[in-house]
Amino acid sequence: MNQADITKLVSKLRIKVPPTHRRLRNPLGPEGRLNKLRKTVTGLIKYERIELNYNRADEARQYAERLISEAISHGDCHKPTMEIADFWLLEKELVHKLFKVLVPRFENSSSAFTKMYKAPKPAYARAIEKTILELKGNPYPSLTTRQPNNKLLLQNVLLDAAKYDYRQTKYAEIAEKMSTPEETKNPDS
Amino acid sequence: MSLVMRKSPIEYFNAAKWIIRRECRYLSNLPEVAENSEVVEDKPPKGRKPRFLNPTLQYRHVYPEFLPDPNPKFRNSLREKLERADMLKRRSQVDIPEFYVGTILAVTIADPHAQGKTNKFVGICIERKGCGLRAEFTLRNVIDHQGIEVRYELYDPTIQNIQVLRLEKRLDDKLFYLRDALPEYCTFPIDMDPEILPEGSPVPVNTVQVKLKPRPWLERWERQELKGVSNIEEHLKEKDRVRRELRKTPWEKFDLMKDYRKTIPIEDQTEIWGEVYNQLQQMRVSRKKMSKQRTFTAPKTQLG
Repeated sequence: MNQADITKLVSKLRIKVPPTHRRLRNPLGPEGRLNKLRKTVTGLIKYERIELNYNRADEARQYAERLISEAISHGDCHKPTMEIADFWLLEKELVHKLFKVLVPRFENSSSAFTKMYKAPKPAYARAIEKTILELKGNPYPSLTTRQPNNKLLLQNVLLDAAKYDYRQTKYAEIAEKMSTPEETKNPDS
Repeated sequence: MSLVMRKSPIEYFNAAKWIIRRECRYLSNLPEVAENSEVVEDKPPKGRKPRFLNPTLQYRHVYPEFLPDPNPKFRNSLREKLERADMLKRRSQVDIPEFYVGTILAVTIADPHAQGKTNKFVGICIERKGCGLRAEFTLRNVIDHQGIEVRYELYDPTIQNIQVLRLEKRLDDKLFYLRDALPEYCTFPIDMDPEILPEGSPVPVNTVQVKLKPRPWLERWERQELKGVSNIEEHLKEKDRVRRELRKTPWEKFDLMKDYRKTIPIEDQTEIWGEVYNQLQQMRVSRKKMSKQRTFTAPKTQLG
């Protein structure tokens, strides 16, 4: 049983944190592991939506969340936080993006800052599980359809048109049926 | 005297500075500037304001054992809650004072084999570890030229009294290097008198740097980035310096998740301190009252 480290105060992450880290095997050892994750975190902050293998995405997600929460809690005038941002963001213009764009975006949010989706896999093939990692509030169209019953969706428009056509043919049939017996009756009477 | 003469002039100066500062505190009652982190915090930041932090979070320095083990394997909310209740109960029976690594303590325990059924040990606290009811601390002293360490459990029912003789911190979190240091740095008289700090003053940090004995050492102190040791470089060979460079892990301080897995997050801590804050505060106040009452009583005559 160990004592908790009391020198640092961190805010709680809103994602599920596994009890231990993944090793992400690398010839350079733990340093290489962090180098890998640095590239991924930089990519995530830069492009806001990236596709990755599941292990690396889940690991990088935790670091990205921590980086953003540190930036939110300490701001850009805190030297240690600035050093951390400098380490994790390989492209230095992204440091500005972190403090000037992402901090205001996530400052008042009550949920996690990132979102992870499972990406589709080829059927009948052995493939590594792929995921899509994105920052919330990104400018891209959503990956999931929120309202499947939206009238204006292409599928729904086509279905509506098909239904309309079907109904029209039915009406025509009924009208034909109603008109033909009268024609047959009239000559009899 | 001979011990004092052996010290280098710099260290002698440091010690003198330390003594002067301590005495100035008594005279002027000025709060001392803590060297650690307050220098950074004092400067008003230009841009964003720092967020408001719950003041009860400061209790983590005084009562670190109330925080659970951060390892999720050992977490159990019910057990933690029960343990906290038990700890408070024990604290209501025995005064467990505020102390840190580097503080000099006198601990009296019940010992059926000792004369008078009690055993008192004085020493410097070199380590605090464990959480909950299993919290421990280790005292070290040199008695008759023999280094002695005693590990006590903080909530051990045989403990009768814990007295703080000199409340102070050191530069490092663990003082295991005192084992390899010259014996004068951890020699404390058994009949040491307690030094009383003025009320409301921050805990002083003792910046004394110890001198190590020549090798062999118990640990590779040169790799641990110790602040409280002055003469490590004297005892190193070129080989050790090279290996120290190879073994350095400069990336570790940027490993955000490693830090996270070692700590209890703010939200969880606020919950814990909210639970125990009132009772701890009440105990503190009542102890203060008791100690004030005690000052008016006549001093006991020391026997034997």
